[in-house]
Amino acid sequence: MTTIIVVLGIVVYFVLYKTYGKKLETEVVKADNSIETPAARMYDGVDYVPAKAPVLFGHHFASIAGAAPIIGPVLAMAWGWVPALLWVWFGNIFIGAVHDYLALMASVRYDGKSIQFVASDLITKRTGVLFYWLVFFLLILVIAAFGAVLGGMFVGTPEIPSAYIMKIIAALILGVLMYRVKMNFTLATVIGIILLALAIWLGSILPITASKNTWYVIMFFYIIIASAIPVNVLLQPRDYLNSWLLYFGLIIGAIAALFSFHGFTAPAFTSFAPIVSGGKATPYWPAIVLIIACGSLSGFHSLVGSGTTSKQLEKESDGLAIGYGAMLTEGFLSTLVVISVAGFGLNLMVDKGMDITTANWATTYTGAMMKSYPKAAMFTASYAQMVASTWLNFIPTKIVQIIAGMWVASFAMTTLDTTNRLGRYTFSEIMLPLKSNHEGAYNFLTNRWIASIIPALIGIYLAWSGNFTILWPSFGTANQLIASIALLTGSAWVAKRQKSTSKFALIPAYLLWITVTAAILWFSIVVLPGSIKANPVTGITVLVIEVIMLIMNFVFIIDFIKHKDEAVA
Amino acid sequence: MKRWPNASLLLYPGMKMLTKLWTYLKDFISGMDYVHREKAAGITQWEEKELENIFILLLTGSFSGIPAPPAFVAAELLPLLSREIKIFNQRAENSFDTLAEMTGLLDID
Repeated sequence: MTTIIVVLGIVVYFVLYKTYGKKLETEVVKADNSIETPAARMYDGVDYVPAKAPVLFGHHFASIAGAAPIIGPVLAMAWGWVPALLWVWFGNIFIGAVHDYLALMASVRYDGKSIQFVASDLITKRTGVLFYWLVFFLLILVIAAFGAVLGGMFVGTPEIPSAYIMKIIAALILGVLMYRVKMNFTLATVIGIILLALAIWLGSILPITASKNTWYVIMFFYIIIASAIPVNVLLQPRDYLNSWLLYFGLIIGAIAALFSFHGFTAPAFTSFAPIVSGGKATPYWPAIVLIIACGSLSGFHSLVGSGTTSKQLEKESDGLAIGYGAMLTEGFLSTLVVISVAGFGLNLMVDKGMDITTANWATTYTGAMMKSYPKAAMFTASYAQMVASTWLNFIPTKIVQIIAGMWVASFAMTTLDTTNRLGRYTFSEIMLPLKSNHEGAYNFLTNRWIASIIPALIGIYLAWSGNFTILWPSFGTANQLIASIALLTGSAWVAKRQKSTSKFALIPAYLLWITVTAAILWFSIVVLPGSIKANPVTGITVLVIEVIMLIMNFVFIIDFIKHKDEAVA
Repeated sequence: MKRWPNASLLLYPGMKMLTKLWTYLKDFISGMDYVHREKAAGITQWEEKELENIFILLLTGSFSGIPAPPAFVAAELLPLLSREIKIFNQRAENSFDTLAEMTGLLDID
């Protein structure tokens, strides 16, 4: 079954890329290679530089792939593997990839300006300001959700934090070799990879055990320091090592899924409303959109595509492979996650003494998963089992599990400190209105350290005191809200500027807006009251964020409807 | 007498396919390596860009009222800075639109 689904996934993605994707390219975007892209027209050798399609694809994919497409599908397995896979494929092909492609191409036709700028131009200036607020809330919730993922992972598999700490040391050494010693790049890379392997091995024999709260305190200081030190000291060499880990993990995973020939032990479908978020029955619609974010669609991608990628697109026809194709590749990563958990998750939980069967899966999966292999640990353990079931079983299972754990932890950790860098910036932008009347307060709040501490403190506090099944969907609401705004902006661009058939953009955009709005309402009314009772500060903080975002969501749709038929200059 | 096809003719398409596959694989690996390097270098370039912004502001700041080197020094340097000024203009135009660029660079997801 594992092999059949991998092959089916490849066929579905390939066929729809060639048919639906091409239709978007010719009828909606009307890609035209005779129109010069900003990279050619505004070439400056620094920001605007044309890049070959495979290189730009690699850049774009590395920027959009992270830990989120791994964690979401693990939680969504509560509905069974068919609903999880359906949303990954449907959402990916008809909404997420369309969203990424339109954001990229709208930006290309707007001189490489961001989707935030396009929204301000086509809808109202207010939309651009809404973006800052939404991104700021999203960053806080990202810190909370990813902090909770890391906390659980570090406690569950103590080899991972020790391997990670060794990897940081390896990255620091690599940084010195590359920038101080000025060693040959290839030689430094070889040494870096050897150090990475050594870190994984040392991690496996020297695990570090600490409580979850201790890890949260360490994480808080780590993200403040890591986001303040120069990038070439830690961030850059560490990300370079991470990318090797990503490709290694992806290749091993794809081979294992293709050759494991293993049946699925998880049920195909459990119930329309199993227990997922906050211990409540969670309806597939609208809640799925909050659970599987990046594997099917993600608002962050609209910013990535319209930030750096659009300034490097060599010709318009490359846009489909990069904007649409990279998102499909990320969906394929989520497909691998579903396959590994569906094939091996049940046995793993049973071996840990969990009372879970295919019959009681709907009510027990989330609890059993959180107790035995919480969140990403479920993926890393099933991934290791999947690799062990193939001819790759000469690699010790524990080592594969640590590699997969390092892969997820590296993504999540990178996200934490880079989030804080971005949080500092968005916070300063949001505080700008204070500058004219309260300059002292503005200067204090936007001080480098204060602006770093505020998002980190709120985020880590939420992770410390919150329930993960509350935090993860909250992160989903903010992310999908940005996606909804970006997709509506994309359809406004198609209708107003392209004057082409906007139904391919407008129908998914309205569908997404309605789904996200219903999901936020359901989450705030059904799930959060229980969370407020259990932990008032966390519950109320999340509720306040949700309510503000909901109001913004309505402000946005009113603005959109009011301005969508207006002529543009 | 029945003539058997030459074995090398049978092997030829197979070999051709294998060679093609090997070339694809080699291209993929070298492309992957290139992307890794580019991606890593991009982060340092970003910081360098910030320093360049400050540098050009120091040099040409006198034109916009920022105390900077004496005007004659700036004027003497001006012909050498035409490319930098073009980039500076472009950046000034994009300076209110950096959220997306930072998101793309910082790998958040």
